Amino acid sequence: MDRTLKNRLEVRLAGLTRGPVRQRYDETEIRVSPGDAPKVLTILHDSIDLRFEILADLAGVDTGAEMQVVYHLWSPASDDWLRVVAEGISRDDPRAPSATFLWPGAEWLEREAYDMFGIVFEGNRDLRRILMPADYLSFPLRKDFLLGDDASRTPGAGVRHSERAQVPATPAGGDPAVRRAPAS
Amino acid sequence: MPTRRQPAQSATTNADPKAAPNARAAGGRRASAKPDVRGVGPRGRISADDPRVTLEQEIGSDLYEPIPPFPIKTEREGEFYSLRDGEIFLNIGPHHPATHGVLRLVLKLSGEQIVDVDPVIGYLHRGVEKICENSDYYHVIDQVDPLEYLSSLFQEWPAVMAFEKLMDVEVPRRAEYIRVLTGELLRISSHTLYMGFMALDLGGLTPILYSFIERDEIVEMLASITGARMLFNYYRIGGVNGDLNHEFMSRLGDWMSRAGKQAEAITALLNENEIFLRRMRDVGTMDRATALRYGVTGANIRACGVPFDLRRAHPYSVYPEIDFNIPTREEGDSLARYLMRVDEIKESIRIIDQCLHQMPDGPIMAKLPRLLRPRPGRAWAAVEAPRGSLGVYAMSDGTDQPFRFRIHDPSFMHLGVVPHMLPGNLLADTMAIVSSLDPVMGGVDR
Amino acid sequence: MTALMRTMETVRGRVAAAVRSYAWDHLTLAERVVYLAGPVLLLGLGFAAVFGYWAGGPVVDFVAGRLGIVRFFVSVTAILLLTVPTAFVIIYMELKVIARMNLRVGPNRVGPFGAVMSVIHGLKVLSKEDFAPTGVDLGVFTLAPLITFLASVMTLLVVPFAPALVGQDLNIGLLYFFALGGLTVVGLLMAGWASFNKYSLLGGLRSAAQIVSYEIPLTLSVVGVIILAGTMSLNHIVAAQSGSALDWFVFKQPLAALIFFIAATAEANRTPFDMTEADSEIVAGFATEYSGMRFGFFFFAEYVNVFIVSALTATLFFGGWTAPFDSPVHVNLNWFDPFSISAPVWGAIVLSVLWFGTLFLALVVRLLGGRSWGVIDSLALGGLLLVLGLAGLIGLAAFISIDWIRDLSWFMAKTYVFVFTFVWMRATLPRVRIDQLMGFAWKWLLPASLLNLFVTATAVVLLNR
Repeated sequence: MDRTLKNRLEVRLAGLTRGPVRQRYDETEIRVSPGDAPKVLTILHDSIDLRFEILADLAGVDTGAEMQVVYHLWSPASDDWLRVVAEGISRDDPRAPSATFLWPGAEWLEREAYDMFGIVFEGNRDLRRILMPADYLSFPLRKDFLLGDDASRTPGAGVRHSERAQVPATPAGGDPAVRRAPAS
Repeated sequence: MPTRRQPAQSATTNADPKAAPNARAAGGRRASAKPDVRGVGPRGRISADDPRVTLEQEIGSDLYEPIPPFPIKTEREGEFYSLRDGEIFLNIGPHHPATHGVLRLVLKLSGEQIVDVDPVIGYLHRGVEKICENSDYYHVIDQVDPLEYLSSLFQEWPAVMAFEKLMDVEVPRRAEYIRVLTGELLRISSHTLYMGFMALDLGGLTPILYSFIERDEIVEMLASITGARMLFNYYRIGGVNGDLNHEFMSRLGDWMSRAGKQAEAITALLNENEIFLRRMRDVGTMDRATALRYGVTGANIRACGVPFDLRRAHPYSVYPEIDFNIPTREEGDSLARYLMRVDEIKESIRIIDQCLHQMPDGPIMAKLPRLLRPRPGRAWAAVEAPRGSLGVYAMSDGTDQPFRFRIHDPSFMHLGVVPHMLPGNLLADTMAIVSSLDPVMGGVDR
Repeated sequence: MTALMRTMETVRGRVAAAVRSYAWDHLTLAERVVYLAGPVLLLGLGFAAVFGYWAGGPVVDFVAGRLGIVRFFVSVTAILLLTVPTAFVIIYMELKVIARMNLRVGPNRVGPFGAVMSVIHGLKVLSKEDFAPTGVDLGVFTLAPLITFLASVMTLLVVPFAPALVGQDLNIGLLYFFALGGLTVVGLLMAGWASFNKYSLLGGLRSAAQIVSYEIPLTLSVVGVIILAGTMSLNHIVAAQSGSALDWFVFKQPLAALIFFIAATAEANRTPFDMTEADSEIVAGFATEYSGMRFGFFFFAEYVNVFIVSALTATLFFGGWTAPFDSPVHVNLNWFDPFSISAPVWGAIVLSVLWFGTLFLALVVRLLGGRSWGVIDSLALGGLLLVLGLAGLIGLAAFISIDWIRDLSWFMAKTYVFVFTFVWMRATLPRVRIDQLMGFAWKWLLPASLLNLFVTATAVVLLNR
């Protein structure tokens, strides 16, 4: 656990983070809003005392209530991994800015997040499906993805019971069958 | 004499006229002709089971359409799929003897020189992340094995580490040493196999068989403690699934006495071969900045001069207590990547030696409840797999199934750097470059 | 009368029904062949005997008057028939030798030690469905393997297997050889173009470029040999190397031999120059769309090419059919007149040798092998060993005394040493990239062969002065 990292982050990113900097074991986590993500990432990448030059991962998350884009970064100046959670992306029209201006390797990672969740990364030059076929219609890792719905839209549709479309019932407050992440 | 069949001309073609070098006369069936009434299924489509229906009627004539078969949506796609004068598309398709698995490379060639490449992946996508959201924590370890099937213990390791962080479990030291020992053995096996495949892709038929002999010995060793030869399912949350036994130790002892010489023998066939060296030197050079910006990790980035190895950069398990070096090379070409892995084999033998000498006694599993319920929260863990840094981001909601299980795979990033590295080289170098990055499609596609 | 006719009808009907349905279906394949071929052969022999007796004289006169043409036809047929077993042997060798170098076993199920494997491959290739993919130009598609195969095979016409065993002793034999070698390019280009496939086109173009580039050093390196021997006839080139092993041209033209061997490897599309059929790059190059017997022709053409190139190396540089040393044993078999012993005595001698030899060897096998060798087994093994031993003795006698057998054996031995070298290279070496290949030919082999030519010519002029 790197205490100095917490101080350095609070100094550099004052006002840009939502909530406190949390640390546990060898990970430090900050939460930002998606609009601030490029600025935050640039500060983390370029600052002399932070130098988070290596993007270890870029993942999409569907918490049931909202969507998040989670970045993991590594720096030679710190013992901890840094997790940047861009939270508060709406589930109906998920958009987030792209990190490809800093790390071109994020292009494929963002393509995967788009493919699995439907998050549109603005600024990514090549936002098309990567793992699923190009004419696929659903976003598989979303929490409201139902295999029956998806299978009923495929060419072999409706033959087996598991490929019949389920009529989704969305009561007020959201579908109780959809798992939600606990508000932590 | 077999009759020549003309494919039907489809009315919905989006063909670029330059993309089809051989223009075909519109003979045979016309676009407006209705398909034969037999075999039309309930939804107006041809039933695949009707033997009277020809392949052409079943698939339709868009099989012969030029690439791409779907409308172009993005800027990069448009740039790639527009041909200038003298350029052709060549599809090194998913079915290919040498693409390390099901990988499709759409190359844009001008003569023999590659102008651009679009790797298409996803042919091996199994939805492991989604399956893991519906599996309990023991099953996740089983699911995550076949990702990079050649080194499957390294897939289990970060998963297990992330879960241990979520359950606040401390792993006994003996278990950590066993994890390091088995991991390094598997690293040697994976690197040896890499050397064989590298030679096979360049045309040498013999080294792959020597690699498999080497791998067989190591895998038999691991089978005597884990029970499996390839998908080990050995690591558990809080330790490992079985202690070292007599058979393992005797096999390991035999192997260690020969290990150094065996590695030398295999490399001698290739390292001094002039043809091999000339095919790999200065081919597919990657510079430091590119490697850092594209997320390249593992031996590939160390071959560019960046000494980034997670075992030293972010030490985990008992690596801080073990003394080993991080070899680095400066050139960044295919030969450097190949020689890097040869050096790493030697380092791994040193690590195994130290593990054997420093192995403490004690339990191999921490005490855990039967039904595992971690605290709600998030955890990230990454290890240095033979191919690069393999990371797992696990989110838990307090139930006995993970809420989100994200796997970050190194081969995925390496294939992402191929469109940057390949243009400018010749077609014959495609295989040399792609296989020098050591991708395993199971991990790429998950 | 009608009763007789009706009985005859019934009998005939029954016999026909029996022959057609019952008996024929219950025969094995061997029996069917024997029952069909037996009567046909007998009838054929009968007719041939009658025809020969009646028309024998004029036919022999006709043939004797046109001996040259007849010899030509016979030699062409012999060559076409010879290529198939040669290809089989080389294919088997490749499978087994590469397997052993890979620490594997290779085929060992079909036949003893897998020896029948090549025949099975040949039968498999023959039995495949004959189709051509959509869009190919069928005439060109079918002709291409034929042209490649024939161009390779017809070069065997001038190769001297023994002093009298030459197809046609052309006095421009070497020129004929290189002319036909260039014709294979046409076949490859046709194959690449006619297959409606970009891979094939690329492969065909690469092939053509490679072969054309390597033909020049190939031909130039041989000119030194022509100067030294003074003739382009292969038979005379071999005769110019007769004497001892030190007269072989490899000692007088070492650089030329090396260049020839390397260029010939490229001509034959063998590793390390087999980029055109590199299965890890462009599947099978120009032969991607070929299957069945068309592919079989390409396949055979490659292995026959290996044989031809090895045979030519042996002929031009290593003395062909000449022995490296004089035979130490000079046996004169004329002291023994086989007709002086009458036929029954001959029969008795042969039978007693076979009988007592088998018994003796069976006893030896039983004594050495112990209890596990029963009577039948040891007799069988004894008989086999006797036959092998006798065959070996007869072969040795033939080798020592009959000239053309001795010469042929030396020729084949040398050729197969080079075939083994080709197979060895395939097992060990990776492939050279196409541009490195071309660079090597134009920048290194061509100047080297020119240098060799100048040095040879200068030396010959100076030494003759």
